[in-house]
Formats: sequence, structure tokens, C-alpha cells
Amino acid sequence: MARLLAALLFLAWAWGQSPLEKLKAALDHLRGPAHRAVYVLKVERPGFSKTYRLQVFTDGERAHVRVLEPKSEAGQAYLSLGQDLYLFDPRLGRTLRLPPTGRSERFLGSDLTYQDLMGRDLEALFEVAEEGGVLRLFPKPGAPTPYGKVEVYLREGLVERVVYYDQRGEAVRELLLRAYQRLDGAHLPREMELKDLLRPGYRTLVQVLEAQVGPVPERCFQPLYLERGC
Amino acid sequence: MTLLRLAWRNVLRHRRRALLLSLVVGYVTLAVLFMLGFLDGYGESLVESYARYVEAPVVVAPKAWWQDPDPQSGFKAPFRVDHPGVLAQTPRLALPVLLRSPYKAHGAEALGVDPGGERALSRVPSKVAEGRFLAGPGEVVLGYRLAERLDVRLGERLVVETGRKALGLRVVGILRAGVSNVDFAGVYLHLEDARSLTGVWATHLALEAPRGQEEALAQELNRRLPPGLEARGIWSLMGPIRADYEASRLFYLPLLGLFLFLAAIAVASTAYVSVRERLREFAVAESLGLAPWRLAGQVALEAALASGLGLAAGLLGGYALLWYTATHDVFGPLMRLSAELLPEAGLAEHLYTAVRPGYALVAALVVGLSALLALLFPGRLLLRMEVSAYLKEV
Repeated sequence: MARLLAALLFLAWAWGQSPLEKLKAALDHLRGPAHRAVYVLKVERPGFSKTYRLQVFTDGERAHVRVLEPKSEAGQAYLSLGQDLYLFDPRLGRTLRLPPTGRSERFLGSDLTYQDLMGRDLEALFEVAEEGGVLRLFPKPGAPTPYGKVEVYLREGLVERVVYYDQRGEAVRELLLRAYQRLDGAHLPREMELKDLLRPGYRTLVQVLEAQVGPVPERCFQPLYLERGC
Repeated sequence: MTLLRLAWRNVLRHRRRALLLSLVVGYVTLAVLFMLGFLDGYGESLVESYARYVEAPVVVAPKAWWQDPDPQSGFKAPFRVDHPGVLAQTPRLALPVLLRSPYKAHGAEALGVDPGGERALSRVPSKVAEGRFLAGPGEVVLGYRLAERLDVRLGERLVVETGRKALGLRVVGILRAGVSNVDFAGVYLHLEDARSLTGVWATHLALEAPRGQEEALAQELNRRLPPGLEARGIWSLMGPIRADYEASRLFYLPLLGLFLFLAAIAVASTAYVSVRERLREFAVAESLGLAPWRLAGQVALEAALASGLGLAAGLLGGYALLWYTATHDVFGPLMRLSAELLPEAGLAEHLYTAVRPGYALVAALVVGLSALLALLFPGRLLLRMEVSAYLKEV
């Protein structure tokens, strides 16, 4: 009875939300709470694949990502602070500040961009409409997005699938989010899959392991600590 | 006149030898003409590409920008050059950008331009193959090879990002200029958009100058411009391709000189052999009262006439070849391949040779050189000849 009541309350709450509010709420969920975790990133290409183990520290807005494996790339670290993006490369022994355009670049050669991981482009650049339970996003006039349309599929207020279309109406990317874990009142998808729909065999899988919810030390978000770790 | 007639008769007496000499000289003349025409044509095509498509005849910019072409080193406030030699001027804003389509992201250098000002100065606006050139903010025009690489079409939105801001601009035109920098890397957006992406007024001023006076105007402006600004003429704007062109000239001009010298040596050595064979004849002529220096002059004249015949044939063939390559796109495939290999070198897809009367003068050096060498070596043989030694045997 209590479950039914909760479900009805959720439905009533969802019913009263505008499509934009639904999108915002879903994106807030996507960010998850402040946590530290180990992510496994698997980049698949036709004929080969590469797996990274990443140590991630995030407060929901900022993120510190450190490559643990493979050994050849271990020690590389990224820090995302709003528009600022820093990279530490142990081979160079230096921390570099990447231009904000770097946010649109592919992360570790995968199909993911920093924008996919941390961005709020979907709510900032698109006008949102709802059709048959699917949020359909169309670029605002002059919006700096190359996509012609984005469809966001929600399930119980959580993003389940995002499909990006080009300006010719063809689906070009698909992001699937699965296995949401409830953490400290927020939700964190434990599995993400990003497919390049134009290139068969191009796929990136992200799996969240060993997530620990709780405050992350402030030093983790200092560029100085990219080199020594936090 | 008698000497000339005698020399001419001697040339005709040994027709096969004269023909061979003429062939050597003709071939060298043709090679000299063609190489000079090709080098000048290449230089003219570079000047045309850079002055009308890639840069401008003269560019004025802050010295800091010349040293570090970061937009922030550009003009912070509007600036204008007042000089009677400047025929037109327009501000431009060059900025490094990241271009994003749904399929690809590509780094490029975009140029913010004022469409009206650009039309007065550049040929780029007239080279739109699809759509139209910029009319206002919110638009972008791309080179066709870049559009292919990004897979964007007319009417589609392209994201143009800088470190400061990003804009979604509509592709309104696709360029096909036949100049590698424009076709492979050309990104033109409205000056207002470029300003909003960078926050500066312009990075440089492009100036129109009378043809051939670009460097002089730049020097003149450098004496008058406020401190901190510098004007550069078209040759200074060319970058590494200028070094390539100058290196080509440095390499080929001495090579052509060597060609001419070898051809003259061939003529002189043949004359030497001819004189050795005809020593008795010359001895008789001298004993009949012809001065030795006149005999030497006759030999030089013979060499000049033989090489002159070759020169005439070479000039005819060389100018015909130059005319053909100046009016037909013979080097198009070669240039297109070069542009493909060096897309940012500013190479044009077409190269037409230059045709200048002055080349004939350079090629004619072979005649003078042949005569001089003939005077020096076979002629000296005649000057030292002991007539009695040859007449005894008669």
C-alpha cells in the first residue's frame, strides 16, 4: 500500500513537471552525489579494445580522474573545474591547462567527451518538448551544438537512453545508462554505454565499481594535486 | 662585311657540324626560356594566391601580433590607415577555432571578415561554388575540402568554438577557389561573430596596394605608422613557401648559367677543332694580307653565327612552349597534387608560365659567350700561328 502510494505520488509529481524541469531533474540525478569510485572504461574498436581503470573523485560539479591502468598510461590525471580542464601527463612531468574547446574532445580516445561526462549542454542549448513520454530536444536558434535533435528517454525520472541525431535526421550517437544505484538520496548509473551509430564496432562502456559516497577533500580539486594525487 | 660573308660561308660549308651546334644551343635556349618562364610563373601564382586569397597585398598589425598571432595581441580599438597609396582597407580577425559537426571535430584558423570590405580586396567572396558569401552575423563559409572533411552541407549548423565562447553558425556558402589554403582550410565568419568569440576589434588590417608596389608601400607605412604597429608587404607574408620559391631560384639560376656556359664551350671547342683543321687555309689568308686579329674575329663570328642559328630556333621553340603553357593548364595535375601534399602552402591549383621578352636577352648570352670563348681559344691559336710553318708544306 505504501509502495503504491509512493508510486502515485511520484507520478503526480512527474505529471506536474514541465519537460524542461523533467530534463533538469534527470540531469541532476545523472551527476550523482559527491563520491569517489573506480570506473572501468572499455573502448571498443573494430578488431581491438582497450580497458582503462580510473580513480574518480567528484563532488557532482567538479571531477578529478586518475588513470590506474593500463600501466603504460597510469598516472595520467584530469581535473575538470567548470570550464577549466587540466591534464597531468607523467611522461611530460607537467600539468597542462587545456583550452575549453578541449571539453568537446574525446576522453582517452573513447567515444565520450568531457561534455558527456560533466556537461549541461542538453538543458542549456536545447528547447525541450515531450512526446509520448520521450523528451525531444531541439537546438535553440544559434545554439552551439552540431546536433539537429536529441531524444532523451526517461524511466522513473532517470535518464535511460539518449539518442543524438544529426541535422539530416539520422541518429549518430546513442548513450545508454543502466543499473542505477541509489546513493545517499541520489542516483548513479553504474553502467554507461556509448555507441557511434555511424561506425559499426565503435563503442565505449563505462562501469562504476567501488563507489563510496561522501565528501571529497577539497585538495582533490586543486591542480597542484593532479601530479601527486589526492 | 666581307668577314661576315666569309664566316657565314664557313658555317654553311660544314652543315652537319653547324646543325649539331645549333641543336645544342637551341636546346639550351629552350631550356633557359622554359625555366625562367616557369619560375616567374610560379612566383606570380604565389603572389596572386597570397595577395588575393590567403593574405592581402599589405597587412598592418601590432608588432606583438606578428610575434605571437594570438587574437589578444590584435587591435583593441578601431584603427585606420590614412595614406594615398592605400586603395582600400578592411579589418580582419584571425582566430584559432575548433569546428564541430555531428561527425567530426577539427581545429582550424578562422577569419572574421567584413563582407563588404572583403569584396573590395579579396577574390574569395567571388569564389563561392554553392550558396553565397557572408551577408551578416550567424553565418559561416567554408572551403569545399574542409566542408567534405567535416561532412557539413549548405544550410547546416556548424559549431565554432574558442576558449572564450562557442557559436552555432549556419553554413551559407562553400568555396572552391583553386587555392589550397582556401579550399582545404578556409573558414570565414562575420567580423561581429569573430569579435564576440575573441573580444578584440581585429587582429590586422588588410590593405589594397597598386600592383608591384606592395613592398614599397609597406616600407613607407612603417615610417609613418604609430609605434607598436608594423606593415608587411606580400613577399613578407608568404611564410615558408617564399623560402621554397627563393631556394628554387637560387638553385635553378646558377644551373641555367652552367647550361649556357657548357653550350658555349661546346661551340668554342667545335670551333677549335675546325680551326685546327683549317690552319693552312688561315695561313694562306694571312699571307694574302689578312691580319691575324681579323682571322680571330672571323672565327669568333663563325661561332656566333652557328650559335645564333641555334638561338633563333631555340627562341622560336621556347616562346611557342611558353605561350602554350601560359594559356593552357598544363601544370594543373602537378599543382593539384602539390596542393594535396601541402594544403597550407598557399599553392594555386593552376600554374601558368610567364612570357617575357627579357628571357631572350638571357638566352642570347650563349651567343656572346660562344663568340668570346671562340676568340679566346681558337682565335688565340690563330694569333700565335707561324704562317711559314704551314706554307712550307704547300
